[in-house]
Amino acid sequence: NIDPESLLPKLPSPEELKPFPTTCAAIFRGHEGRVRSVSVDPTGTYLASGGDDGYARIWEVGNGRQVWNVKLSNDEPVDTVRWRPGKDASILAAAAGEHIYLVVPFAILSPDMEQSSRDVLDAGWGYAASKPSTETNGVTKEPPSRWTRPGDSMEKKGVLVQITVRKEVKVIHWHRRGEYFATVSPTGQSSAVAIHALSKHLTQLPFRRLKGLPQSAQFHPSKPIFFVATRNSIRSYDLAKQELVKSLQPGAKWISSFDVHPGGDNLIVGTYDKRLLWHDLDLSTKPYKTLRYHQEAIRAVAFHQGGLPLFADASDDGSLQIFHGKVVGDLMENATIVPLKVLKGHQVKSRLGVMDVDWHPREPWCVSAGADGTCRLWN
Amino acid sequence: MALALPDDVKVQIRLSTRHSDIALPEDPGALLVPTSLRRIALSSLVNNLLHNEKPIPFEFLVNGQFLRTSIEDFLTQNGISAEATLNVEYTRALIPPVHTTSFEHDDWVSSVDVLSLSSPAGVWSNTVVQSGQERILSASYDGLLRVWNLSGDVLATSSPPNNGGRITSLKTSRWLNEKKIVAAGLDSVVRVYKYDDDTRTITPSLELYQHKWPVEDIAVHGPSNKILAASADGTVGLFSGTAKDAPAAPANLLPNSTAASNKRQKLSKPDRTVPARGALTTLSGHTQGVSATIFKPDDATVAYSASKDHTLKTWDLTTSSVVDTRTTAQSLLSLAALSKVNLLATGTSARHITLVDPRASATQIAVMTLRGHTNGVVSLDTDPSSDYGLASGSHDGTVRIWDVRSVRAGVGSEGQIGESIYTIQRDSAGGKHIPSHGEGYKVFSVKWDREVGIVTASEDKRVQINRSQ
Ligand SMILES: [Mg+2]
Repeated sequence: NIDPESLLPKLPSPEELKPFPTTCAAIFRGHEGRVRSVSVDPTGTYLASGGDDGYARIWEVGNGRQVWNVKLSNDEPVDTVRWRPGKDASILAAAAGEHIYLVVPFAILSPDMEQSSRDVLDAGWGYAASKPSTETNGVTKEPPSRWTRPGDSMEKKGVLVQITVRKEVKVIHWHRRGEYFATVSPTGQSSAVAIHALSKHLTQLPFRRLKGLPQSAQFHPSKPIFFVATRNSIRSYDLAKQELVKSLQPGAKWISSFDVHPGGDNLIVGTYDKRLLWHDLDLSTKPYKTLRYHQEAIRAVAFHQGGLPLFADASDDGSLQIFHGKVVGDLMENATIVPLKVLKGHQVKSRLGVMDVDWHPREPWCVSAGADGTCRLWN
Repeated sequence: MALALPDDVKVQIRLSTRHSDIALPEDPGALLVPTSLRRIALSSLVNNLLHNEKPIPFEFLVNGQFLRTSIEDFLTQNGISAEATLNVEYTRALIPPVHTTSFEHDDWVSSVDVLSLSSPAGVWSNTVVQSGQERILSASYDGLLRVWNLSGDVLATSSPPNNGGRITSLKTSRWLNEKKIVAAGLDSVVRVYKYDDDTRTITPSLELYQHKWPVEDIAVHGPSNKILAASADGTVGLFSGTAKDAPAAPANLLPNSTAASNKRQKLSKPDRTVPARGALTTLSGHTQGVSATIFKPDDATVAYSASKDHTLKTWDLTTSSVVDTRTTAQSLLSLAALSKVNLLATGTSARHITLVDPRASATQIAVMTLRGHTNGVVSLDTDPSSDYGLASGSHDGTVRIWDVRSVRAGVGSEGQIGESIYTIQRDSAGGKHIPSHGEGYKVFSVKWDREVGIVTASEDKRVQINRSQ
């Protein structure tokens, strides 16, 4: 008789998989109302956050000190903030309602960093005007967006570009080179997913028709492939050939978020129906692993992008779950997934808990955004 | 009577000390003492042997541990037979530092430094700092420097710099001597100020431009008028505190170098211009932000730096080159030198302090690991009265006092393990338990001065002074 347990590969214990975040190291207090989004800048020095108070704020990651803020909207939450990749410039993208803002927070930058950042944003002014307007049968089509200067009071704070799209933007995702970023407006129908080119101040709508309601979108980390999540499925598209590559069926009722492993062949999916799914793109269109650890909806998932085999999710039950997720280059071997730690501290407010999670670019530290009005650093 | 009372149990001890000023005049050899003795009785014994009229309180180290119980209990707890001769090391007792006073600020206090008879700047001063005339320098996130007397009066406050609309929050400040102050922070500029104790003024005299990201820490060397700045841009700048010795400032870093910034600066109407200069040299080699830097205590041509890239580097300042790199497993946040024992202490994000011998082979990472803090260790200073003492400030809201002789064996790469002797809490917390994230009470800076005591700066908007009475 063979014990079936003995045939299973032994999972390493969390103790062997250190370092990973275990403790709350700093609380970032200052938002009024929910914090919706967090993003650590490419140098790992600053944390950006956006919340229901209509503010985007910047903090020192190490100690929770607020160093900059701007009010972007009087009546709408800042739903997402995302730093532009790269260390050549320091630019924050933030969305409130149907507006996307591109910010150079010069107050915390040296003059030359301010200048190189301004140059990146200023290059595209006038580009659209120099191009003839698109006409079909003599009818001028409404452009998918307008790129404008947001006005004196905002520009004085470093908010240099305002992009107005048709519907509320919930997701921003940058391409790794910092020239393009994608936005998702779930109620936008044919304009729900947009790709914006920074140097041309140009917005394109890559999908005339999308089956389902888009929830999130992301660029592949190294190939010209673009992922779009609707409520039930995740499709990948070849941007150059303009064709569908793969359609993943996580078996979820409602996908909230997903993230692509830095290697590009695996992704994690979080769902409002409390599940976390790992997809290996080489294996199947069905999930490789289904993880049910939370009592409530999962709102955000994130892979460590700086070389550590870690990923995290954030849930309305007020906790974050930290996992070891090791991807082996070998096609014969599957990913090793080990739950490591539940991070507790955020208060649940009106049935909402942790709204977003992001990793430090190098260290085994993550940051979270809470409905309790705080951000937290975990290390 | 065959029954031995506990008092009758005796053990042989051999006394020694590492301090020549309290060494025994003649070697008493092995002494037979009752195992019921505790620290106080042993202290009287040593004072008798020293023929001290005024007794000195002593502490005793047995096998790297401070004696906190009777000898008997110590032997039982450590499984040592009373038959063996115990080697007992004695040292002046460190008296628990108690809170004496706090100076309230309007905002987080990021840095403190002390000007006293024995402080580095006091030693480098032309005039003797009289007892009672000590000065405390504090730097705050409100962008201002303040000089305080020991009664808690603000003698002078700096004006916020005119830097083209940038953030002015300060991170670090030092006395260069009794008339010069150096400070830096989030706007990346290192500023030298003239301090006048008579007119009670802090006046900017020089602005030093080199760094592209915030300056986290500075070190000064009075005799050569040199300044080291550790920056989040991954470099350490070496500057002169005198304008005439310094090269021109890089034009692209000046506040008026860009159109937008120039416009903002003009709008703020500067009432005077301060000379701007650049760095003498820039030390490049770290791959992430530099958190802390110091001059080698007995040789200012050598510098050390601790970085978020996990390394500790030794630099030759005459050639601006890296002499040695030690790689640890953590982001490094603070640095101090225990020069008599040839150790560098570095505080980490992983809540401990690593002691490194910069001379030893690179195969050994840590000589010793000091454990006890529950959050990042962001500031370190040495005990001015001992070659073995350290004070550490942490985001857990405490300052801990360590003696590197007080250690036990550790495992693996961490070397020996040390535990703290005392923990100083924030007086502002009123005895309340502070969670490890330290919200509201994080300690950012600690200075240990012989005259003034242990001076700390914190998120609680206070400078707190603790002193052994
Ligand atoms: Mg595979």
